[in-house]
Amino acid sequence: MEKINKVIIKEEKIDIKESKRREIISKVIIYAFIVFFAIIVLIPFYWMILTSLKTLDQIESEIPPTLWVSFKNMMFVNYLNALEAAPYLRYMLNTVIVATISTVGTIFTTIFAAFAFARLNFKGRDIIFMVLISTMMIPGEMFVITNYITVSRLGWYSPFSQTFGQALLALTLPFMTSIFYIFFLRQAFKQIPDELYLASKVDGTSDFKYLWRIMVPIAKPTIITITILNAMGTWSAYIWPNLVTKEVEYRLVTNGLRNAYLDLTGRVAYNEQMAAAMIVTFPLLVVFLLLKKYIMRGVSRSGIKG
Amino acid sequence: MEIRLENITKIFVQKDKSEVVAVKSLDITIPTGKLVGLLGPSGCGKSTTLYMIAGLLKPNGGRIFFGEEDVTDTAPEDRGIGLVFQNYALYPHMTVRQNIMFPLENIKVPKPEALVRAQEMANLVGIGELMDRKPKELSGGQQQRVAIARALVKKPRVLLLDEPLSNLDARLRLQTREEIKRIQRETGITTIFVTHDQEEAMSISDEIVLMDFGEKRQVGIPQYVYDYPENLFSAKFLGTPPINIFEGEIKTKKVILDGKAIGITKGTNQKIVIGIRPEGFVLDEKGTFELVVDMVETISRDTSLIIIDPTRENETFRAIVDSKHRIKPGDVLKVSIKTDKLFVFNFETGELIK
Amino acid sequence: MLEKQSNLKAWLYLLPAMALLLVFTFYPLFNAFYLAFLRNYSYLNRTAEGYTLFGNFIDVVQDVNFKTAMKNTSIIVFVSVPISVMVALFISVALNSIKKLQGMFQTIFFLPYVTNAIAIGMAFAFIFHQDYGLFNMFLGIFGIDPVNWVGLGASWSTAMFALLVYTVWGGLAFKIMVFLAGLQNIDKQYYDAARVDSTPKWRVFSRITVPLLSPMIAYITITSFIGAFKAYRTIIGMFGPTLRPPGTLSKDSLITIVGLVYDSLSQADAVGKISQAAAASIILFLITLSFTGVQMMISKKRIHY
Repeated sequence: MEKINKVIIKEEKIDIKESKRREIISKVIIYAFIVFFAIIVLIPFYWMILTSLKTLDQIESEIPPTLWVSFKNMMFVNYLNALEAAPYLRYMLNTVIVATISTVGTIFTTIFAAFAFARLNFKGRDIIFMVLISTMMIPGEMFVITNYITVSRLGWYSPFSQTFGQALLALTLPFMTSIFYIFFLRQAFKQIPDELYLASKVDGTSDFKYLWRIMVPIAKPTIITITILNAMGTWSAYIWPNLVTKEVEYRLVTNGLRNAYLDLTGRVAYNEQMAAAMIVTFPLLVVFLLLKKYIMRGVSRSGIKG
Repeated sequence: MEIRLENITKIFVQKDKSEVVAVKSLDITIPTGKLVGLLGPSGCGKSTTLYMIAGLLKPNGGRIFFGEEDVTDTAPEDRGIGLVFQNYALYPHMTVRQNIMFPLENIKVPKPEALVRAQEMANLVGIGELMDRKPKELSGGQQQRVAIARALVKKPRVLLLDEPLSNLDARLRLQTREEIKRIQRETGITTIFVTHDQEEAMSISDEIVLMDFGEKRQVGIPQYVYDYPENLFSAKFLGTPPINIFEGEIKTKKVILDGKAIGITKGTNQKIVIGIRPEGFVLDEKGTFELVVDMVETISRDTSLIIIDPTRENETFRAIVDSKHRIKPGDVLKVSIKTDKLFVFNFETGELIK
Repeated sequence: MLEKQSNLKAWLYLLPAMALLLVFTFYPLFNAFYLAFLRNYSYLNRTAEGYTLFGNFIDVVQDVNFKTAMKNTSIIVFVSVPISVMVALFISVALNSIKKLQGMFQTIFFLPYVTNAIAIGMAFAFIFHQDYGLFNMFLGIFGIDPVNWVGLGASWSTAMFALLVYTVWGGLAFKIMVFLAGLQNIDKQYYDAARVDSTPKWRVFSRITVPLLSPMIAYITITSFIGAFKAYRTIIGMFGPTLRPPGTLSKDSLITIVGLVYDSLSQADAVGKISQAAAASIILFLITLSFTGVQMMISKKRIHY
């Protein structure tokens, strides 16, 4: 007969009440932790809004500062003043123009290039793609130097004279394509099954028509992501516009922020400064909240922003 | 329209520059208005052949004729073919209607006419009421029908189907294969489909082309190929459960298995491979073989016997008998062999010896 | 047909992107090296006095700001990144473990990702304002006297502290996004198994979550190092183009390596300055390249569980 080795399992008493209690305590700790950091994340935004709605006297006299402004005391006029302190409306117009041109340009060049890399078979394709990918890790400052020279040599920028058209060329043309977006869109194109291409070939669809009728609509979410990221990039551009525009009026919204905000008596107008910061920040937040889904798609693939 | 492949060869060059012959000097004639199955194990070159007929791949040698017309160098869109892909390849962003109409757009059919034709086709395949759905809102079987409608809408001369049933579940597969047969009959279009599933091929094809390693092994009406395999591959590939294989020899025109004569042949004395279909064993008091039953599987009216192979150690083979016989594992049975279920093949080449 | 190579057609599709890349990416890349080896190059006159192998690099290194820039950049990189990675990890794990309000908190933590570095930098500068700032108010609760963090004549260390707080804050969103995505990819079975064994939460964290997330932690840390080496906009946001609190000396500046590049570039008209900018950018490139190398080594080894 077989001998059976018995493993004796002793039932351990589990104190249900105790474990319930622990569960609740850990829940409380976790929520407290999250709420604490959520507040820290929100503080700069709140501080910005709060300050932008106070009077300068209020800011300077209330030590320590108050953390609330009642609606009837909110100084929305600070926003109007901020808009006047720098040519903000002009900046916004410039930004919209530059963003539109560079985004449309980027979308087109990217779609064509991504199509070639994803769908067409040509000599050296993989090597060229590898070279492109490896340039993504090179810091942008290396390009900026020569691009500054190039833009000057092409006559688009000079410290002495510059037309708005020249400024637009300098602001948009270097950003009309992007290796990262080509890579990103190529990935999306690659996910489209080959059979769709073959099916369209059987029906006599040209490559060009296949690209626009089939691939682009299928990859639409990715293209929307690229559009948003690119437009937001223009909105936040600071260094390059500063470098290649002669006239202050040719610059973009973010450039307006470093304006000196002084009131009539020469005091720093913190409220107007914060109002300006809010004017720049607010659209970004709105775009983010509305189009979070698309922006997040880009995050998973991008390295580090900035 | 008759389709003729003459001496078609296809060689793929791998990444490491080595060459793989996918299709070797293939000659096939597909008669007008027939439903023909290209059948073979995966990697046998059947899909490659289909793609060459479609014009998506270009053969390295040989010619392809549609009727009298040499289409070898004709672009896919000019061949007048409809192609249904294994995964259907429906455009995910278009509705069923847009999908079916898409091929008509390329040949510049005016929109009102295209709408009518699309609806006609959709009705034919039985999805007329799903025109405004997107592909992902359809079941696998419905997607399949959309794909067929899209392939047929431009009135092609040939319909090509690549593994049309492989993405469907078992029940739908049965239903869909009847459907394909019906559509083919109603339209009378010459149809070629590729499959690795012999049952599928045998059930709906007018004719099957059996392929292996890029070569044609046998062509014919399914039951005929089953009854008269020309080689060991055909014999093995068709039939479930598969044919049983034994080693034996020919001595003075007699087929000898395990020392016993089981049939006669015209072949000369040699070592041979003997194939016996599972239904070729008969329980017979006067039978020449005494066999030991290892396991018994009864499935409805058939009983499948797993029998210990007397010629080889630790091997078994399978026989199918009527389930009226009550047989238990361990029983010793007297068995004889039906000669029409017995095939003899050359040991080296696998060719049938008559 | 399909297998046919379509060289001409492919290049037609590539042309717009490639032409732009050639002019604004590839040429500048090589030109940066070329410029860095020119002696006394004047871009206005397009003249140079021959070549020099290390001359421009020596000029960069001997620049009064170089040591400061290296020190600042290193501190930003090696202090802010580990802190923000750790904080982000804790927040992500906490966020991942809750059900109620998870979506709302997620959105809050993601907010800083899209914001404008300059605008938020200004807000932070004001938070650290000596008299009107929130931070000193907070310290006041504990009876600490107001500190001049970033104001007129503020010390380097207080300014750096404020900058680090801002940098950590700014880096959280992206890391939380990536970590959360990673956490959601971990098979729930591990956690169920741990639960059945009544594993305490901190052990689940240290023995299951962190090891399973380790490749992602390594990836994020290194890419964040690389990103932090390029710090510049945050500093402009907080301190303006001078890169230091008003009324302080340049040795107390918060300039970074990228700052050096732009500093030289802003004096482009002066002889040799463009070459110095190029040399500084190459130094930055070499540093990031070495980190990329480390990352490739690690990702090959795959420091999984």
